[in-house]
Amino acid sequence: MAGIAAPMAPATPAQAPARIKASRLTAAGVFVWVLITAGVLVMAVPLVMTAYISLFRDAVVVFPPSGYSTAWYMRIGEFPRFGESLGTSLRIAALATIGSLAIGIPASLALVRYSFLGRGVLNVLLLSPLTVPGVVIGLSIYVLVVEVEIATEAPLIGSDLVLAAAHLLITTPWVVRLCVANLIGLDRSVEEAAANLGARPWSVLWRVTLPMMRQGIVAAALFAFIVSFENIEMTLFLISPGVMTLPISVLQYLEYRIDPLVAAVVMVQTLVIAGLLLLLDRYVKLSRIV
Amino acid sequence: MSRRPQGLTAGLLIGPATLVVLGALVAPLVLLARYSLNRYDRTNFMVEALTPENYLRFLYDPFYTGVLWTTLWIALVTTTLCLVLGFPIAYRLARSQSRWKSAGVLLVILPLFIGSTVRALGWMGVLGRGGLLDSAAAAMNPGSSVALLYTPFAVVLGILSINLPYMVLTLQSVIEGIDARVEEAAESLGAEPSRRFLLVVLPLALPGLATGAVLVFILAMNAYATPLLLGGARFQMMAPMLFREYAVNNNWPFAAAIAFILMVTTLTLTAASSAFVQRRYKAA
Repeated sequence: MAGIAAPMAPATPAQAPARIKASRLTAAGVFVWVLITAGVLVMAVPLVMTAYISLFRDAVVVFPPSGYSTAWYMRIGEFPRFGESLGTSLRIAALATIGSLAIGIPASLALVRYSFLGRGVLNVLLLSPLTVPGVVIGLSIYVLVVEVEIATEAPLIGSDLVLAAAHLLITTPWVVRLCVANLIGLDRSVEEAAANLGARPWSVLWRVTLPMMRQGIVAAALFAFIVSFENIEMTLFLISPGVMTLPISVLQYLEYRIDPLVAAVVMVQTLVIAGLLLLLDRYVKLSRIV
Repeated sequence: MSRRPQGLTAGLLIGPATLVVLGALVAPLVLLARYSLNRYDRTNFMVEALTPENYLRFLYDPFYTGVLWTTLWIALVTTTLCLVLGFPIAYRLARSQSRWKSAGVLLVILPLFIGSTVRALGWMGVLGRGGLLDSAAAAMNPGSSVALLYTPFAVVLGILSINLPYMVLTLQSVIEGIDARVEEAAESLGAEPSRRFLLVVLPLALPGLATGAVLVFILAMNAYATPLLLGGARFQMMAPMLFREYAVNNNWPFAAAIAFILMVTTLTLTAASSAFVQRRYKAA
């Protein structure tokens, strides 16, 4: 089957002939539209519903609500547990983003621009945190940290240090992946020209390579931030009663009750992320990198 | 350029990232593997030992194997539904030439990054007692109620809404890679839409289907928040059970064994399915 496509030149959108007509009103065509509608509903309903609930006036979720108001958004600040956990989430995500850029960009330079023994193995190793279940990573880091705590008697669980280090582990693969993809697409002759004209390796890096990688670095930073900000499974094992991230405090709240307040909280979180993504979409085609 | 050997520079560049993965993934996993062979006891919590009893306890207790089966079953059902619902959307997006196409793609991407709690909250509002469906049923037929929350159905729906965007995006990029003229050739040769789909598009998209299926299968196997919030207290899947063994029962050796059983099951099934598809694809 694969052979059919092989002899043909790849089509560019401009020369592709008139596309196949949308299926006429046959039973199969109707069935396909039912599937499409069901799929879109499954993706959209929970988000629309959350936005809708966040505007209810009553504290108890009943349908239809007695009225609508945006008061819950104003009152988020009155509930310190959400404010504090938002602070923790932002702090950890920022630390993890900066850290993963600092170690991920050099690593991707090494993977793309140098050839050395064990490059293939290191490539797999650096991406491997993506394939291990989050709960397994969380539990394993927890037991290691406890061993270290026993040995050094330093309180570590729930500390920014441990949380940021753990988040560094799950954000670095994304930085490496995006920067490697970016570097492979860059023209190497520009760097060579700079070197031929007498630029030292460091100034080639600062003045040529890194500016050329700008798109990839922006994408990597936003991705790293979002991956860290959203993480639940791994972080669960590493928090302490006083230190909690936003998704986990929302999760614990939802285990007992659902009300417009928590809906407003997650809507704010969602809008922040949607804003970041729209920003990101201006730099790189999102559909290429996911 | 540089007088230093290349290997040294590369080593300095890649060293820090490698150390992080070794220190935060490899070393902890080795320690966890060692813990999984220890013995649990109620007074001392963990006793140093070298025993397979945690793994055997899991494998011989119908409760735990039942949870593993439930997890596998939920993951397979959601993966299948993702394929069935994701393909038509991905196909429409990929073959669309409208100016709304990029907006459509962005609308599929946005939910990817919105946490699972948001989706769970929305479904709780729809399915819960006093929720949208329940109230609608009561309004139409007083006294009746629709209790869909805390059922496997709710969990499947919740996981599906989280995983479907991943599938749509994977399939969309694969379908974009299939030359539209192949389909047109099939059409001009008289193939009905259904035959075109079964004999032309589907075989060409098979490797992409496998990639997407593996991705959403892994996500479903490791789901934590969705089964917890939508499945209720009596519904068990692997990730919440692992957390409970650790947090509530304090049985670290057993939690460690569950972690490895979950990891090995997921990796084995995904490796087997990719190998299977690769072989089929080469033979075809």
